[in-house]
Amino acid sequence: MKVLALFVLACLLSWTAQAGEYNLTVDRVMIDTGEFTKSGIGYNGSSPGPVLRFKEGEDVTIHVTNNLDVSTSIHWHGLVLPFQMDGVPGISFDGIEPGETFTYRFPIVQNGTYWFHSHSGFQEPDGAYGAIIIEPEGREPFRFDREYVVQLTDKHPHSGDRILRNLKMSADYYNRQQQTVGDFFSDVADQGFWSTLQDRLMWGDMRMMKADIEDVQGFVGLINGQSPEQNWTGLFEPGERIRLRFINSSAMTYFDVRIPGLEMTVVEADGNYVQPVTVDEFRIGVAETYDVIVRPREDRAYTIFAESMGRSGYARGTLATAAGMSAEVPELRPAPLLTMADMGGHSGMDHSGMDHGDMPGNDSSMTMDHSGMDMSGSTMVMDHAAMGHAMPEADDNPFYADGSGLIPEAADGGRFLAYTDLRAQRPLYEEREPTREIELRLTGNMERYVWSINGVKYEDADPIRLQYGERVRFKFVNETMMTHPMHLHGMWSILDVGQGKWNPIKHVISVAPATTVYMETEVDAPGEWAFHCHLSYHAASGMFRKVIVEGGPDSVADGEAEAVDGQEGEA
Amino acid sequence: MTSLSLKVLVSAVTLGLSAGAFAAGAHGGGHHGEEGGHAADGHHSAGSIGQPGKAEDVVRTVDITMYDNYYEPEVIDVSQGETVRIRVTNQGALVHEFNIGTAAMHQAHQKEMMMMVEHGVLLGDRIDHDMMNMDMGNGHTMKHDDPNSVLLEPGQSGEIIWTFSQQSSLEFACNVPGHYQAGMYGEIDI
Repeated sequence: MKVLALFVLACLLSWTAQAGEYNLTVDRVMIDTGEFTKSGIGYNGSSPGPVLRFKEGEDVTIHVTNNLDVSTSIHWHGLVLPFQMDGVPGISFDGIEPGETFTYRFPIVQNGTYWFHSHSGFQEPDGAYGAIIIEPEGREPFRFDREYVVQLTDKHPHSGDRILRNLKMSADYYNRQQQTVGDFFSDVADQGFWSTLQDRLMWGDMRMMKADIEDVQGFVGLINGQSPEQNWTGLFEPGERIRLRFINSSAMTYFDVRIPGLEMTVVEADGNYVQPVTVDEFRIGVAETYDVIVRPREDRAYTIFAESMGRSGYARGTLATAAGMSAEVPELRPAPLLTMADMGGHSGMDHSGMDHGDMPGNDSSMTMDHSGMDMSGSTMVMDHAAMGHAMPEADDNPFYADGSGLIPEAADGGRFLAYTDLRAQRPLYEEREPTREIELRLTGNMERYVWSINGVKYEDADPIRLQYGERVRFKFVNETMMTHPMHLHGMWSILDVGQGKWNPIKHVISVAPATTVYMETEVDAPGEWAFHCHLSYHAASGMFRKVIVEGGPDSVADGEAEAVDGQEGEA
Repeated sequence: MTSLSLKVLVSAVTLGLSAGAFAAGAHGGGHHGEEGGHAADGHHSAGSIGQPGKAEDVVRTVDITMYDNYYEPEVIDVSQGETVRIRVTNQGALVHEFNIGTAAMHQAHQKEMMMMVEHGVLLGDRIDHDMMNMDMGNGHTMKHDDPNSVLLEPGQSGEIIWTFSQQSSLEFACNVPGHYQAGMYGEIDI
């Protein structure tokens, strides 16, 4: 009964917020992580900013006042809207100058979990982000008694500007997990001197290190602004169904999320319903969202544990039946190391002169971490098909290279969500053949910290021109050893998981090292849009493009009306 | 390759049956002489959830509509000993099940339904009947013909005639993987 009353109260509160008019101020704030306190940027006086609650079908008006001494902007991540409202300075508008108020107006034509953040400089890593919940017009395709936003971030003691300066100076500035001289000698003991030396030389050639999974370590993982020690807690009563809206608002960090003792039923990805799939753990890429339903039946606390993909840090929160309760916090698992498979896409490697068969002190096969790859055939061929049988299968998961060090495994041997598990619950578009394919090679030079697309940085690149009404198939070929969460603004990214009309509809597509991933986009939003890697320092270093959609109803004269045409009634 | 996966399939079906839920009964088709085994799961005898009813005993009809992924209505009121015709229509875009059982029975049945997905019998919005009826050796099939359940493609209708007994913690549920966990179940109030 008490629960019901609470629920009714929550409904009433949310209804009062449906007036359609919102005010946000962009402010300098202090951020206290418990481990360090730093000056940052927030909304309405805090970081993260408020949770904005919209209703599908509503026309929103949002007044954003800039109280900073520099220009700012707000991008509504994942929202389908007129391009002038998309909030990217230099593409959608001029930005919001200090002291100025900019008014965003757009119709809400979708529902689900999204977020908003500054698209200016490094204001987002500095704290300028918040959550968006959009209630559907109809009933949700699942049931829940209560809900919580679980917004993850990787709060770093250094400012974004300083981090990029340091990375440009030395790409491994923040890499604390580099292999050391001590590792070298212990590997010599295990694998022999020549094998170890060759291994190190190869990685040196590529200007990469095996531990290059997270370029920016030394952060504190936060959940809704609270550190592991501060322990964000969501209350429940046993037997209730809880909807957790996970949002990864990190600058750079992927998280592997689990709640020991509970299975999680994934019902939404990037704001779109997916056919429910029950898992024990999932990986959330930067800027992705996943909604899960959990049903704790016991009167106790459960830990929400989010380890960074490179295991250099974690976020932690708690679900509990009373404030102050806590459950065991698991140990971080050992850091994975990249393998030869993860550099499969690395071009220009010529090691054919190496004769592994004759190496002294070696049993003629070089054993690489995790891979067990047989290198005895004197040439190294980076051909995945040929290596297939000798390598551990990527669990039939084409979203990692076979033998990749990044292939996730559930902590307790359970089921780990894969992209291939995602199926749209309600396809937004008719299935049809793409009108053309555009190849985007994800490229970069780690040592110089330059990131690019097709070898060209944003400043030097021509925009990608699309025609209104076409369906474009994008082919991402990741030639780097980092994982890139690619985000196209304004239009949906239909991830090809081989399921035709059931392919899931997303706004971020994560592309692992040495893999090729396809997505299709119905070009239904005229105007100019951003398309970029959502890792803050990769986007800023050049892995970014402008997309121009040519043609369409009334050209680009009245963006607002067009965006409504494009999506209305389909969501 | 084919014969290997078949072998795996058959052993998986056998495992599923030895888990022993009532709903599992007809999944294996020709499991003759094991009827006694179904009640051996220690939780419920077959009688406690009720039994298939006869058309001539039907006192009333209840209509249930299945959507993605929920039922309307989500509660059915019945009296002890009452025989009810339950007409089920799938108005969703996905395959759904209507199955009468206890929470524990549904849980056991979900493992079998997962197998049907893994082996390509359940395909989101349709059922591969050839695959489902395929003889996997020893007369086993993945046929889904329990009297306490119907499995429907989008647009299809089906019915169950059921005589309810004294068991008071019955649920109707969809055991297509993930659907129960998403909340696709309802209460049977006796």
